[in-house]
Amino acid sequence: MMSKENSNYKKNVETKQNVNLDDEQRIKVLSPTMLVMKRFIRNRLAITGIVFIIGMFLFSFVGGWLMPYEEDQVFTKYEEMYKVRGGITVNEELKYIIVEDKEFPLIARSQFVLAVAEEQELFESEGKIYVQEKVDDDYYVIYGTTEIGISLQIGKDINISTAGEILSDEFITNTIEAIKTDVVKFEYDSELYYIVYGKKSNVIYRLNDFAISTRNIYNYQIQEIQNDYEFCKNAEITIRSNTSVFAVAGTEYTIDNKDGIYEIRDNDNNIYAIITRYQMEPIYEDVFFSLRFKEKLKDIIEEGTEKFTYIEDNGEEIPYRIYRQNLQWTLEHIEETYLIDEYGLSSPEHIMGTDGHGMDILTRLMYGGRISLRIGFIVVLISTFIGIVLGGVAGYFGKFWDNLIMRVVDVFNCIPSLPLVIILGAVMDQTRVPPNTRLNILMLILALLGWPGIARMVRGQTLSLREQEFMTATEATGIRVSKRIFKHLIPNIIPQLIVICTLSLGGVILTESVLSFLGVGVKFPFASWGNIINAVSNAHVMANYLFVWIPAGLCILITVLGFNFIGDGLRDAFDPKMKR
Amino acid sequence: MKMTMNEKQEQKRKELYIDKSYTPIVHDEENILEVNKLKKYFPVEDGMLQRIVGYVKAVDGISFKIKKGTTMGLVGESGCGKTTVGRALLRLIEKTSGEVIFEGKELYDYSKKELRALRPKIQIIFQDPYSSLSPRLPIREIIGEAVREHKIVTSEEYDDYLDQIMEDCGLQPYHKDRYPHEFSGGQRQRICIARALALNPDFVVCDEPVSALDVSVQAQIINLLMDLQKKFNLTYLFISHDLSVVEHISNTIGVMYLGEIVEYGNKADIFNNPSHPYTKALFSAIPVPDPTVEINRIVMEGTPPSPMNPPSGCKFHTRCSYCMDICKTKVPEVIVLENDHVVACHLYDK
Repeated sequence: MMSKENSNYKKNVETKQNVNLDDEQRIKVLSPTMLVMKRFIRNRLAITGIVFIIGMFLFSFVGGWLMPYEEDQVFTKYEEMYKVRGGITVNEELKYIIVEDKEFPLIARSQFVLAVAEEQELFESEGKIYVQEKVDDDYYVIYGTTEIGISLQIGKDINISTAGEILSDEFITNTIEAIKTDVVKFEYDSELYYIVYGKKSNVIYRLNDFAISTRNIYNYQIQEIQNDYEFCKNAEITIRSNTSVFAVAGTEYTIDNKDGIYEIRDNDNNIYAIITRYQMEPIYEDVFFSLRFKEKLKDIIEEGTEKFTYIEDNGEEIPYRIYRQNLQWTLEHIEETYLIDEYGLSSPEHIMGTDGHGMDILTRLMYGGRISLRIGFIVVLISTFIGIVLGGVAGYFGKFWDNLIMRVVDVFNCIPSLPLVIILGAVMDQTRVPPNTRLNILMLILALLGWPGIARMVRGQTLSLREQEFMTATEATGIRVSKRIFKHLIPNIIPQLIVICTLSLGGVILTESVLSFLGVGVKFPFASWGNIINAVSNAHVMANYLFVWIPAGLCILITVLGFNFIGDGLRDAFDPKMKR
Repeated sequence: MKMTMNEKQEQKRKELYIDKSYTPIVHDEENILEVNKLKKYFPVEDGMLQRIVGYVKAVDGISFKIKKGTTMGLVGESGCGKTTVGRALLRLIEKTSGEVIFEGKELYDYSKKELRALRPKIQIIFQDPYSSLSPRLPIREIIGEAVREHKIVTSEEYDDYLDQIMEDCGLQPYHKDRYPHEFSGGQRQRICIARALALNPDFVVCDEPVSALDVSVQAQIINLLMDLQKKFNLTYLFISHDLSVVEHISNTIGVMYLGEIVEYGNKADIFNNPSHPYTKALFSAIPVPDPTVEINRIVMEGTPPSPMNPPSGCKFHTRCSYCMDICKTKVPEVIVLENDHVVACHLYDK
């Protein structure tokens, strides 16, 4: 400790001998401007502000220049849209194919279902008696009946009385034979007969072709073809008999079993129809699924894939999607459409996503920054100019001018600026002022509203400086008025002026944002931070699309904060006594 | 005839300005400056309508003459109007009435343009060296600006001239690029002097040039002023409240009280024979650097009266220990005692 102090002392003594007030020995003392600069640079907060502002400038001006997109470029995206085209179900219902000209009323159908469930061959509806014959679980034949006669058993004799028809003896013999052997159904002369046994008498019916009931679905090549009883019945029989050829009304059909689908080809080997268990129905009446398409659908369903492409006859490739819900499938057509890329999330093309208009948020932030900063600087420049001139005149020349200008300032301070600007905005809306002119008018108005504060400050400063002795000295030495003002007065006002200007820059940017947010400032499609935030017009956007408005808010925050930091830093630098 | 308040005021004001109650001065070539019955009244406004309710009679009819190459000291307590006199002599403030004859011509007859051309001839050194230098200009500009403005020297000679002046005033030429805040009070006052002398003046008003400085520096500055006076044959009006300083530098001395010169004369006469009671009181306050000497200190009572509403008669009568009845009613005449030693006091009435 001691030695250190000693050495320090010695050092002091040594240097003291060299102390001499010439410029080499002297610490370079800086000009007031440089001193301010030095103090400013040492202020960490002010440097932060400078960094903010330079960052914002680079972001807005250089960034906007580098961005490949335009300010109002609307982006679209390529998106798949699904349109329901049809439904597919595995058919578990019995479908009826009825002989032409006959009717199978709903009540009768329900009786049939009942009979099937109770395994009764005979069922009755509305006085008509039907007979159903189960071939297998999926295929039933339904007959209509005609009463032929009644058989009565007297002792051992069986007596048959006709219901009106003349019965041949052979038929009667056959019938009696059948009754004796308790046969219910028998065939005679290629017609079927049915005997209903009663306690005293048995009723004999002739069975007519009436309908078939099947779980298979018949799909035809041509939409107009209806189910034909003969065709369907023959087809069913053929399927079940493991043969492949049948003929209906002179046409010969062949059936191929292809993995559960039965293809029916006609004479010319063209596909005539297919039989499946899938019921494929288009949702629109005017749409018809071709057989090939249906086959494809069936394959797709059995494969379990979701998306597929179907090549139309004309070579067009159409994408489809199928999705399953229990035993139902919904067929959807995939339509690829260009949509406006609303509220697009961050992607390589749009780093910060897109807004509600499908515009790139980052680009708009940059262009918005240009406008906000430009408005800020130009407005402050104009209002400072007006403020210096009028405030200087009022302060320096005093008396009449002071009175006049200060009353004008008072009047300007009485103008409610926000309503004024809103009204002017509305007027400009109505007269359809072009956006660029509108921007200029806005700047002018903000400047006209902003100068009184600066004028007051300049006037006050001028008044106090005018009484300073160095100003009296300029008068005594006979320096001309213009030099007095520009060389002696203004430089001494500049510190306060710079401070007030920097601080009001932030204020102007805020005002501009507020006005743009209210929709009276910068108009869409021009971007400004204010009208970017304007996109948040409802709670939905606010809550769900934070990325649309938070960046713009942050930009405003950072810029205004930056200007305020710089302003505070400058104030501290200009007046070190004020510092804390 | 009825007059409204405003008309009355207006008339009052006019009367003030065309006050010709003095006899015009007879110019003497010997004198650089002659002041005759100089008055400076500051109107006092009051009330809602800012009516003039009265005048602060800062300078109330003072007369003196300064010979070329001499120094007149103007002493008096604070607020007696010394500085106002100084400023009125430079037309930094306009006089109310009276005569200011500079080199034989009425100063207040110059037009603004002519006045500007005349400015270099009359210079002023201010009291406060801190506020009288513009903080944002380097010394080179402070001193040299007016030199260029009035084309005192040609542009080739300019740099050398500046160096010379600075050297004369005890500054180093390398100080030129520095700013006022880098200088001490004494150095600043030297800069002020340099600024005034760079214009090659004939007459310099020194408005308490040393009162803001500490004693050691005061002496330096006073000596500098005296040296420069010899060198450039300057004439000074040296305004001060410090009698010892005035004694050192002045040839003649005027003692001011409440806007009037109560005693005026050569330094020797005034110091040896202070006649006015105020001068006596003032001089008794000069400290003597000898503890054994007993000073017969005259302590004045009360405070100086308001210059807006000065006492009737002799203005000093409220504080005067020799106060007589006549003092309260009659304004004292100026009485010549001996070779230009004049005093305004009823004590010397004949």
